[in-house]
Amino acid sequence: MFELSTHIPNLDSLRRYDLSAYDGIYIGDYTCPRHPGNFSSDKEQLSEGVERVKASGKKCYLSLYAAPRNSDLPWIREVLSATKGLPLDGIEIHNLGLLRLVREVMGEIPIHLGVFGNLYTDETARILKGYGVERIFPNSELSLDEIVYLRDHTPIQVVVPLHGKIPLTISTNCFRLEHAVGEATSCEELCKKEYWFNRESWCLKGVGRAYLSGKDLCMIEHLPGLLRTGLRCFYIYSLGENEEYLATIGGVYREALSRVLAGERYSAGHYLSMVKALARIGMCNGYYFGMSGQAYLSPSVEGQEAQGIS
Amino acid sequence: MAKLLAPGGTTEMAMAVLDEGADAVYVGPYGWSWRQSAFELRDAEIKEVCKAAKARGREVRAAFNTYLHSTEIPQLLKKVEKYVEWGVSGLLMSDIGSIALVLTHFPSLEIHTSVGCAIINVEEIRFYREIGAKFIVLPYNLTVEEVAELKRAVDVGIEIFLFQPLHEGILCPGKCAMSSYLAARRSVDAEGKDHFLGSASRGGSCRRVCRARWNFTIDDGPYPDEVELKEDANLLLWDLPGYILQAGVEYLKIQGRERSVPLVRDIVRFYRKVVDSILASPGEISMERFALEWQELRTRWEHEREKRAGLLISETTKLEHFSR
Repeated sequence: MFELSTHIPNLDSLRRYDLSAYDGIYIGDYTCPRHPGNFSSDKEQLSEGVERVKASGKKCYLSLYAAPRNSDLPWIREVLSATKGLPLDGIEIHNLGLLRLVREVMGEIPIHLGVFGNLYTDETARILKGYGVERIFPNSELSLDEIVYLRDHTPIQVVVPLHGKIPLTISTNCFRLEHAVGEATSCEELCKKEYWFNRESWCLKGVGRAYLSGKDLCMIEHLPGLLRTGLRCFYIYSLGENEEYLATIGGVYREALSRVLAGERYSAGHYLSMVKALARIGMCNGYYFGMSGQAYLSPSVEGQEAQGIS
Repeated sequence: MAKLLAPGGTTEMAMAVLDEGADAVYVGPYGWSWRQSAFELRDAEIKEVCKAAKARGREVRAAFNTYLHSTEIPQLLKKVEKYVEWGVSGLLMSDIGSIALVLTHFPSLEIHTSVGCAIINVEEIRFYREIGAKFIVLPYNLTVEEVAELKRAVDVGIEIFLFQPLHEGILCPGKCAMSSYLAARRSVDAEGKDHFLGSASRGGSCRRVCRARWNFTIDDGPYPDEVELKEDANLLLWDLPGYILQAGVEYLKIQGRERSVPLVRDIVRFYRKVVDSILASPGEISMERFALEWQELRTRWEHEREKRAGLLISETTKLEHFSR
């Protein structure tokens, strides 16, 4: 019917979190190679990580670090080499320099282009298909219309994030580490805390070396319209979130999507309350409706109780 | 031999940089380049610049370097066809698919990958070379040695900004949507081009939110000082002989379409003088005699840049986000 996926950064999260709502797991945190136990950089974790995901009947994709400099290429090669023979369903990259590396080490494994891969056009998708890319996360600035266009005009699967904090940019260094004056500088300690940026009504969240939207992307009120487009590959942004967030958001969308696809009459009200309770700053629709990323567009009262899709 | 590539944010600026000896001028077609439309040129203006450049035996590069909408690609090709007829010999571009398609139709065009591609490693350079790029515009975070190493590793032309390197930071330009997240609006012009106002990557109109003063909290505890999210670069001098002679870069790019014409004119005149002296006497490089003039230009540059960033930030604060 549909695939719902998310990222899980390390073995500890994989062991503890309730991931029953998800069909696909991207193992690894692409925002920072220094997170302890990060699947993206810690090859010792990979074998058990992949085994756990596959044993639960889910798809397993390895996510690679998003901003690799030359000095990162050798250890990324080692991480890839450590996955040879493991039943991975794909490798996610955000940097085009890794296309050749993945091919060299992994052969014909499907490649997914992550959100920082900067995919904007159908022509680009066609070129990347030739390099082994089979699925893409469109750049977050694309509207739903543009995403549908990509789906209709390219041979590549298109992922549509439905919820969570939108990755807006990534750095080659860590803001948190640079500003850890007088504190312990172990990444493990520093990253136990949350860090935010605020300026009047502007709000951003820092996760790893990435800067995310302060508000949560939320499409719970727009699922009937979304499903009418025929899009079926969905995703929840969850890096930097806790287990309650992952389980609740995943569960809400799994149920809501299933009900709409089953042809049931859809009312977002109850679901909206549940996800709103977990949105510290508030919610937005990203760029899906052609507005600023942080804007939120509520459907009309009629639209909130639209017919389900069969 | 390293060529000076200078900005044409207006026709007046384009003519000024040609006057001051730039080997090439780059212009942004209205709606298509990585700058606000106030610093872009209409077709008639680009034609005029091409005529002037041709008369002096100089190059014109057109910056089609924003990330476009899939449906705009046919429009892009029509525009490029016109520009090629007028004498544009190279383009600055970011979108991979568009690069490949442009080269299919216009194989003689020289493509510079825009700094908006946010290239940060040698394998990416190989990739862009493979799809047909002739020159790679490097972000300004590499030393002379690093650039020289890249040149040895990949057979491709290199273009650098005349900025002192900032070694680490946000992948800007290219992979940043902070500005459009906070305040953006889609707007389509009479020719059907989407000017995604407020988007750096799509509309070329970044609101410089990274240069505002932010409050930084760690587990809700405030950091003592306000912070900026990104540093800004300033003009280069001391390593210039290294980039030209040791690293062998092909293009030296002066940024500045948003700057005033007098400042850009003076910058081009300055670098023309410095580059000529390096090329004339490669064995006796001393930048010391240029230091004072360089410092004055840096001060003027920083003043204009801060003023512009301040203006954009205060406009954005008032606008919040647009609704449809």
